[in-house]
Amino acid sequence: MKKSRQNVISISASLLVTMLIVTALLVSIGKNPIAIYGTVLTEVFTSGYGIGQTLFKATPLIICGCGLAICFHASLFNIGAEGQLNAGSFVTAIAVIKLEALPAPLAIVVSIIAGFLVSGVFGLIPAYIKIKKDVSEVITTIMFNFIIIALINFFLVDLFAVKATMHTEKIPDGYMLFRFSDFIPFFQGSALNASFVIALMTAAVTYFFIYKTTYGYKLRAAGFNEVASKYIGIRVNKVILISFFIGAGITSLAGMNYIFGYKGFYEAGFSNNIGFTAIAVTLLAKNNPIGIIFSSILFAILDYGGLSVNQEVPKEIMLVVQGIIILAILSTDKIVSAYFARAARDRFV
Amino acid sequence: MEVATSILSFAFLAQVLRLTTPFYLGASAATYSERGGVINISIEGFMNLSAFSFAAFTIGTGSLVAGLILSIIVNLIFSFLFSLFTVKLKIDQIVTGVGFNLLIAGITKFLLVLIFKSSSNTDRIEGLPEMTLFKSIPFLDTIFSDYISIFCFALIFISSFIFFKTKFGLRLRSVGENPWAADSLGVEVRKYKMYGVMISGFLSALAGIWLASNQNSYSEGMIAGRGYIALAAMIIGKWNPVNVFFACLLFSAFEALEIALQISGTNVPSQLIQMLPYVITILVLIGFIGKTRPPAADGKAF
Amino acid sequence: MKAVEFVNISKRFGNLPANDDITLSIEDNSVHCILGENGAGKSTLMKILFGIYKPDSGTLKIRGEQVNFQSPHDAIAMRIGMVHQHFMLVDDFTVLENVILGSELTRGLSLDFRKTERLLNELIDKFNLNLDLKKKVSQISIGQQQKTEILKLLFRDSDILIFDEPTAVLSPIEVNEFFKIIKAFKDSGKTVILITHKLNEVKQISDTVSVLRNGKLVLEQDNSKGNLDIEKLSNAIVGEKDAVETETKGEVKSREEMLVMSNVTLRKNGVDILNGIDLELRSGEILGVCGVEGNGQTEVADIIAGLEKSSSGKISRKFDTAGNVPDDRIKKGMIREFSIGENIAIKNKKNQVVTNNTLKNLAESIISDFDVRLPEIDSTLSQLSGGNQQKVIIARELRQDNPVIIFSHPTRGVDINATAFIHSKIIEQRNKGKAILLISSDLDELISLSDRLCVIFRGRIIKTFEYDEIALAQKTEKHKEMDIEMNKNLYDKIGKLMMGLTD
Repeated sequence: MKKSRQNVISISASLLVTMLIVTALLVSIGKNPIAIYGTVLTEVFTSGYGIGQTLFKATPLIICGCGLAICFHASLFNIGAEGQLNAGSFVTAIAVIKLEALPAPLAIVVSIIAGFLVSGVFGLIPAYIKIKKDVSEVITTIMFNFIIIALINFFLVDLFAVKATMHTEKIPDGYMLFRFSDFIPFFQGSALNASFVIALMTAAVTYFFIYKTTYGYKLRAAGFNEVASKYIGIRVNKVILISFFIGAGITSLAGMNYIFGYKGFYEAGFSNNIGFTAIAVTLLAKNNPIGIIFSSILFAILDYGGLSVNQEVPKEIMLVVQGIIILAILSTDKIVSAYFARAARDRFV
Repeated sequence: MEVATSILSFAFLAQVLRLTTPFYLGASAATYSERGGVINISIEGFMNLSAFSFAAFTIGTGSLVAGLILSIIVNLIFSFLFSLFTVKLKIDQIVTGVGFNLLIAGITKFLLVLIFKSSSNTDRIEGLPEMTLFKSIPFLDTIFSDYISIFCFALIFISSFIFFKTKFGLRLRSVGENPWAADSLGVEVRKYKMYGVMISGFLSALAGIWLASNQNSYSEGMIAGRGYIALAAMIIGKWNPVNVFFACLLFSAFEALEIALQISGTNVPSQLIQMLPYVITILVLIGFIGKTRPPAADGKAF
Repeated sequence: MKAVEFVNISKRFGNLPANDDITLSIEDNSVHCILGENGAGKSTLMKILFGIYKPDSGTLKIRGEQVNFQSPHDAIAMRIGMVHQHFMLVDDFTVLENVILGSELTRGLSLDFRKTERLLNELIDKFNLNLDLKKKVSQISIGQQQKTEILKLLFRDSDILIFDEPTAVLSPIEVNEFFKIIKAFKDSGKTVILITHKLNEVKQISDTVSVLRNGKLVLEQDNSKGNLDIEKLSNAIVGEKDAVETETKGEVKSREEMLVMSNVTLRKNGVDILNGIDLELRSGEILGVCGVEGNGQTEVADIIAGLEKSSSGKISRKFDTAGNVPDDRIKKGMIREFSIGENIAIKNKKNQVVTNNTLKNLAESIISDFDVRLPEIDSTLSQLSGGNQQKVIIARELRQDNPVIIFSHPTRGVDINATAFIHSKIIEQRNKGKAILLISSDLDELISLSDRLCVIFRGRIIKTFEYDEIALAQKTEKHKEMDIEMNKNLYDKIGKLMMGLTD
């Protein structure tokens, strides 16, 4: 209970600090912060299109964040989500074309599983190296980001891309997921699609897995204290392998939004650093999958909001805002929890 | 054939040594920080920041010297902030590193558009002045083309001396190995950790400046993972200035090879060549070196 | 002159008075021993002297001058030095680097190795330390590491030297060497303060002795003429124990061999840790293992628990898993961030859904069975006292109903009442027919609980006391008011064995 109050305070404080810094930044470059905030809020919230686009942008962040949350809970610093999600998405997009002979639902399911496995395996390798060679997963996952992107570019250019483009063939229309605007006219023109529902389900399942199953407890235990976990009888190496596999595997689903819900193909660079932004999203939510839904939406608001004010200030300012948020949450979190710890100690004495 | 001859030439070797500069400066930056027990995965970000600020300040002030000094100051400010987060507030160092990388990427992209109205690069700058000292000596003129490169090679000896022969080095290493022991002997642990991080900021500034200067501009994404490779070189070189230098040579050799292949126009796909340094890193980490042993209290808060 | 004077020193941690109005002075150029049980407040007092803690009230005088230490640095400046129980050494540094750290001699920019080496070698010769300055600390023995610590103090010219349980980790030969060094210190005019709980050592080395119990100074004695009253001392140390009823050992009808280890060895990172362990563990018995820490007992436990693989030798076991109460509860025993229920749930073999209700039920049963005191049912273990944490760990390990249970230092740092409770739980399990391995450094605990007792030294079991030998000691213990003389024979014998002295 106390913990959650503490979280609310530190998250609010960090957002407030971010607001102050950004306002100061805007003033310093001679812009009117109120006008800019106003534009962002009206663009995002006053139209179905704005809301739809925001949720559309939040979708892959939620999914990728859930995958990362599993790794982070096990204290595995997976910085390789960007590579992992591209690997899986690429394989899914290729597989779905190659499996055209199968009935549509089967082809989709099989290709998604194939993507999941590929991403998962790219998570397993750093996990294995960590266990066997004691090399930090941080460095290996970063290396794999570069390796995977280079590999995909190679395969794309030489084998799979439509000529003179950097994307794969388009999947059959019948394979596309429904769009919200198909049923709800309010979302007219927005790309919000069934992937969003899948993202919410992913968050719910991940939440349940982490907080309500023995396995989730074991992986968190291993994250808190590896040595004690071994003594308690948890097979920590197995936990590391499984968490990395599942966590990395889940990131592959982040591509569905683009492939099955939006463009219908895999395109180089489609992920636009989702794998890194998701790290920030996950940290902001304190690795809680339900919280990740909200932090993803916040980051999506910044993303879409950035576009809406691009006339006034470069939309890249939102990247700065995201960076500030993440550093703000890290620091306010420490300060608030130190304060609470002191308060608790004083009460005890 | 053509490639083979070009690789076996002195010119190629000189090229390899020259390209080592940013790797070795970055890897040294990481080493100073980690010897003090602070994992700094923001080397990439710091290099990016200084490359941008060097170009921007040089254009803004019209003076290379001002650009150089100001961009170093910017990096020192950011590395001081980094040490506040990791040393003072004791926030997880890797998380902080990710945060700084994201923030710096955002800042450079934003300012690039804001100041230069471009999402790809700055205006052109004059690079650092060429060294005239070795101008007439064929091999050395490529390697020692500028003051930063000279400093970089000198750094092998400077760092070895600092780490193993000076009071500062002894204390810096002690806080990375066993801060509690160091503290019990009156060593100001946090101060030394901060020094380590600040030196890291300074050296990565030089790495970024060198890159921007050689390219005569700043362009988005120009660091291209060199900061991360520098971290790998540090690990492969086992946190020792001399070994780290040889690890860096490995990586600069690949970069030189990549350039040689591109020029010769062979049909080896460039993506695969670009991938090589990262694959090599992984392979080396898996197989070709024994267990790595980072400073005992690396990454731990004090 | 007085070297150190504590005047009405008090220090509390939470509700616990660690030092309660202590007034004590220590003569200059003397060897003073401070005695007391675990948690009596010895270490706290020394940490106040060394500037690690600030007293809540009272004053501290050094060589007659009142001081107000803010940190150890102030104490070091007053030429006070302390060798901690856990050494403060940088493993990757050489002896020399460790010694000079923080007080380096320099010449220009560089460290002055030549001068430093000369100075240190002089000190090494003067005090007969027999140390190689160029070796890395990770490559030298514990005894040499202690000498490195001592050299650190000498290099800083400390003349009030504090040692926290210096002999606990030493072999008998090393202990003798250590005592010689202490004598040399005294001869050269230094003041030495030793924390210990070994009475024979006190008698041998001290000039004056003080005893702390429950944070209070309860006895001071002079030993300058070797006239120490051991019996009075031991009474003062133990005091009147709360009469807590403990389970009595029942008769066990049949004993079955659950585990036989023969000639088991273990080599780790090039170091031989176990050199041929022979050990039998039977159901319905408590097998005590005593020895100076670091002689392989932890590794024996780890091998039995399946956490470590032996290098060679034969192990036959009649059980799958063993309950395991590890020696370091914070590092190895629990997840501090988890509640009681969660700490139990992670032990489940099957993967299943864990609801708040499951957790509550798990916690409730343990809270009542083990009399755990805690703020709220979902409090994390970090909010519990040491004794209560230990109860939770034991409860979890007993829950599985494993036929073999390992207890490593089960009552270390636990208060008296919880200790008694834990002891009766151990006996209860034995009476149920469980095979119990009890590793401890508390000889009283071992002798009062064990059915058989073996002594481990340098990775080998060098002696096993069988049922009758122990039973006799237990009988006398029942009658006694801590009658040391009666048990002295057995204690002395074991004490010597722990030092590797077989007769």
